[in-house]
Amino acid sequence: MAWYQYLTLISLLFCCIVCLMHLFRLIRLGSPVDYATPGVKTGPAIAYSFTGAMSPVKKESAYLHLPTYTAGILFHLGSFLSMIILAVHLFSPIITGFLSWPVAVFLFASGTCGISILVKRIIKSSLRNLSSPDDYLSNILVTLFQLATALSLILPAAGPVYFVVSAILFFWFPVGKLRHALYFFAARYHLGLFYGRRGVWPPKPR
Amino acid sequence: MGTLTDPIKNKGLAVFEDLPDSRLITQLNSCVHCGLCAETCIYYLATGDERMIPARKVDLVASIYRRYHTVAGKLFPAIVKARDLDDDTAGEMVDLLYGACTMCGRCNAHCSIGIDIGFVIRTGRTMLSNMGMVPATLQSTVDAALVSGNNMSIPKEEFIDTLKWMEEELVDELNDPQAVIPLDQPGKRVLYTLNPREPKFFPLSIAAMAKIFYAAGESWTLSTRMYDVTNYAYFSGNINEASVIANRLWDEMSALKTQALVLAECGHGSAAFRWESPNYLHQKFPFEVMTSVEWIARYLRQGKIKLDPSRIKETVTLHDPCNLVRNGGIIHEQRYILRQCVENFVEMNPCGSDNYCCGGGGGQLAMSEYNERRIKIAGIKADQIRKTGAKIVVTPCHNCVDQISQINFHYKLNVQIKTIAEIVADALILP
Repeated sequence: MAWYQYLTLISLLFCCIVCLMHLFRLIRLGSPVDYATPGVKTGPAIAYSFTGAMSPVKKESAYLHLPTYTAGILFHLGSFLSMIILAVHLFSPIITGFLSWPVAVFLFASGTCGISILVKRIIKSSLRNLSSPDDYLSNILVTLFQLATALSLILPAAGPVYFVVSAILFFWFPVGKLRHALYFFAARYHLGLFYGRRGVWPPKPR
Repeated sequence: MGTLTDPIKNKGLAVFEDLPDSRLITQLNSCVHCGLCAETCIYYLATGDERMIPARKVDLVASIYRRYHTVAGKLFPAIVKARDLDDDTAGEMVDLLYGACTMCGRCNAHCSIGIDIGFVIRTGRTMLSNMGMVPATLQSTVDAALVSGNNMSIPKEEFIDTLKWMEEELVDELNDPQAVIPLDQPGKRVLYTLNPREPKFFPLSIAAMAKIFYAAGESWTLSTRMYDVTNYAYFSGNINEASVIANRLWDEMSALKTQALVLAECGHGSAAFRWESPNYLHQKFPFEVMTSVEWIARYLRQGKIKLDPSRIKETVTLHDPCNLVRNGGIIHEQRYILRQCVENFVEMNPCGSDNYCCGGGGGQLAMSEYNERRIKIAGIKADQIRKTGAKIVVTPCHNCVDQISQINFHYKLNVQIKTIAEIVADALILP
């Protein structure tokens, strides 16, 4: 293993430990006790919170902003794919098989989506005023991670750059807003629980 | 030199300490500042003011949390936009969390992450309340309820006089001396509550509900000691005061030994009592609690009352009170009722749990300092109503009735505004 792979491993370990601390805190604090629970099953509402409620058919923030929504979905898919590839790369040689080109093309596309979201954040005043340096930094790191992954698949010599970018990303991941990757699931759970207990979700046919 | 001393600041920051569950830290760590919530908010839609985007309001509270409770916020606050709780921050919080949010919750359901934005706003209001920064007008409404037992400080004699007057009207209309409005009678099946706006400004809505109870042959009573369904401390964020107000209805149920509490048509009152009061008081209801909308729908399903839709020929539309519908799950009952009591019912667009707030929620009607803003944002509701072509707007919430009445005047809509009980009473076939 080269030094840059060790660096990535250390950052990944740091990221996992801090994320686990966040996770344990969430589990320790647990779900709200609701004395007003009317006795309905909340399971379907929580399931709906993760599925139907997020679809562009139901979610206004999605259907009013379809290009951003689509770019966001691709960007997130690119992130997940890049993480899987990183896990493989850490413990085996860089993949250069027949799949590497289509995967690289997809990651270039998802990285471009990341750039488009970044550009939108820069040029739209409402978003610019809402943003912190963390918002830009996080976007840039994830976009670079995807592009570096793509590059490493078609150009193994880019490996050191790829691992260094990955290392920086995972050091920042649990510190900045990227930790929403963990809290997102808790937020959707809580929202499903809230609307489920009150009988709002899942929507009933009229 | 700021006016916020450390002891005051610490009272505000206490909301982040000793968390009872994971709900708050989840919301405070989740926002990605995508800004896609902007168009869900009537304040942003009506004013175009970027400060009013829901994510900005969430970030006000979250940025304080980050400053005092995260490593990044303590070490490099500028990078993660972590803010000190100082005079500027607190002033901005008052303006945006009290003055630019009706806590309608429309942003919650459409947030790309799923943040319960309404809950974060309420937490921010609790911070401000802890620091003694509730707008004076809103606090005076809460104080009125705490001191007099109802938020309009209606003296008991005046209240009884109004009810006796309505009773006489009812007896005359129904030509039955048994058509009474029972007061403080123990052992009845139902204790009915009121929004103090009813005895003060809209006594006919009390008569309407009394007529429905009469037609259904209900065993019911009103209390002259505690009838106020509202709880403005739910909006001010003072949980202790909210608990005191809620507890009075619990006590009155116990004193009168009634089996069911029927909540008057009041969105926030219903939400505060039905969904929050058990948590304020840490106990489950020992009695049945239902909104009057559900109660009337039950009468219809049981065949206890019958309606004649041919009496109401005008086009009728329905406004969905946020706290009853989106935050309370009462979505279909009012539609079930309306389809049986009017000939021509049309929905607003959007409707149901996606409907827009009237602009009067969140305590806005009590906070006169934000009147101009409140009327401006109501332009969205005015457009919705106008597009339906309706001549009657029905809404099961007296707070919404007030706001829509002002919208009606300001935007010259020329519509009638009624509660569910009022329109049902109009269509009621008497036994």
